[in-house]
Amino acid sequence: MLVIKHLHNRLIQLETWLAAGSLFLLLALALLQILARNFFDAGIAEADTLTRYLVLYVTFFGAAVAVQRDRHIKIDVCCTLLSPALLRKLYRPTQLLAALVCAFLADAAIRYWRDEWLYAPDHERWLVLVGLVIPVGFVLLTIQFSLAALLGREETCCTL
Amino acid sequence: MLYLVIVLVLLALFGLPLFAVLGAGSLLFAQNSDLDSALLIVELNRLATSPNLTAIPLFTFAGVALAAGGAPQRLIRLFNALLGWLPGGLAIVAIATCAFFTSFSGASGVTILALGGLLYPVLRKVHYPERFALGLLTTSGSLGLLFAPSLAILLYGIVAGVNIDEMFLAGIVPGAVLMIMLGIYAGFTGARFGVHHHTFTWHVALRAMRSAYADILLPVLIIVGIFGGFVTISEAAACTALYVLVLEGFIHRSISLKNRLVPLLADTAVLVGSILIILGVAIGLTNLMIDAQLPMKLLAWMEDSIDSQLKFLILLNIFLLAVGAMMDIFSATVVIVPLILPLAQRFGVDPVHLGIIFLANLEIGYSTPPVGINLFIASQRFEKPILGLFRAALPFLGIMLVWLVIVTYLPFMSLWWQ
Repeated sequence: MLVIKHLHNRLIQLETWLAAGSLFLLLALALLQILARNFFDAGIAEADTLTRYLVLYVTFFGAAVAVQRDRHIKIDVCCTLLSPALLRKLYRPTQLLAALVCAFLADAAIRYWRDEWLYAPDHERWLVLVGLVIPVGFVLLTIQFSLAALLGREETCCTL
Repeated sequence: MLYLVIVLVLLALFGLPLFAVLGAGSLLFAQNSDLDSALLIVELNRLATSPNLTAIPLFTFAGVALAAGGAPQRLIRLFNALLGWLPGGLAIVAIATCAFFTSFSGASGVTILALGGLLYPVLRKVHYPERFALGLLTTSGSLGLLFAPSLAILLYGIVAGVNIDEMFLAGIVPGAVLMIMLGIYAGFTGARFGVHHHTFTWHVALRAMRSAYADILLPVLIIVGIFGGFVTISEAAACTALYVLVLEGFIHRSISLKNRLVPLLADTAVLVGSILIILGVAIGLTNLMIDAQLPMKLLAWMEDSIDSQLKFLILLNIFLLAVGAMMDIFSATVVIVPLILPLAQRFGVDPVHLGIIFLANLEIGYSTPPVGINLFIASQRFEKPILGLFRAALPFLGIMLVWLVIVTYLPFMSLWWQ
């Protein structure tokens, strides 16, 4: 279990850096594009497309970190109706179920991505590569929810 | 299928993350319709073509950095110097500060956490009744939702396919009217309880202005930038993020960029990730529902029982108040807006006006049991029971309901710019 906890911490560190790095890159690219357009009357090729994909990077890596911080949005009726002890008991099954849903979505994303890769014309292959974040993101979410189910949590979902 | 929907709703009530509930719903819907689940990912990928999408993480980052950099304290000082001399001045200060701050922080509860702790002891010190102070701060956590560059407005614009510039314009008058209504109530309460208010002094006002002028300039620059045609929404968001970084990192030096930049970026990513993952998954489900003609069936059913715009608006308000009491604003926007949009258009409600009605209802829902997020956060912040806070918030909710009626049935308040 100690090894799993250690690997989990490393994974969280990596995802945190990737999330922060993607957001920083998004900001930098958006600012460079403004500068290039207004002061040099030019634009960075495909910068708009890249910035929009970077939002997906921020989303998926941020969502993966949100699992560990228990920050995913929930309909928190349970917080008012159930006792903290029961909420703690419900934590592992709900995380496992979320992992299952993410696994199915990951499967759909991998199949979608493979088809895109097969049928994309050569000049659009880079865009398909950039879009790899969707299957990778769902795989990361599956791993994070599985680990959350395995490791459990002390606080309830209502703890801020 | 109905059983599965009931199971999913139950799972949602027991705390399964909402995006997983919607994802499971989408997968089941696809399987039931003999469709490949990869279609859901096609829609998610299409999210990357939305031109205003980049504005969401960048404005959110600006809000997170402002909160961490001490903007709440500077704003309280400024509004207190400018408005604190009025009857009920300090309560008006709280309303103005919360509204300003929420428009940047995205009403994610940060306002109550960041400002509540500062304002509550000050309000009590000048002898505002405890119940009034708690009610004010609880409901103020969602004030400012209708002001640029609120995250809720951005999300509604993206989901409904409405021009975000127009949404920003539409929110100004209804947002200001609510602040005035609450301000008048605060003034009366202040006078009734003989609350002390200070006299205006120029040197205090100037000193506060010198410390907070850059914060107060921010929304002005955004509005001028966008409506002056200098920048697009996404560019305005990038400039705002840079402005806040320079302001907090180099001018006020309240954030050490070396130590705090990565945690702030990560905090933003977590907030954005938890919201946009819902949008990504729900887009697929929404399109499946549209393919299955669900909104059309709903429309046909409504046309049988509703024959006027007035009846539709009354029902819409009741429905949205119930939604607001059950769901948070971001999930509700993604799930509910695609369903009500065609209905509203059929009954002649402008999509921009619908957006304001929608957000106004959800703003009230923030402080309504069972899941009003403001109640939970205020309960933790002030260590008071949720029911007590709800009771304290009731007079404010009453005023907000009157405001909701005005905003709903006087569309020119939202559409004055047309």
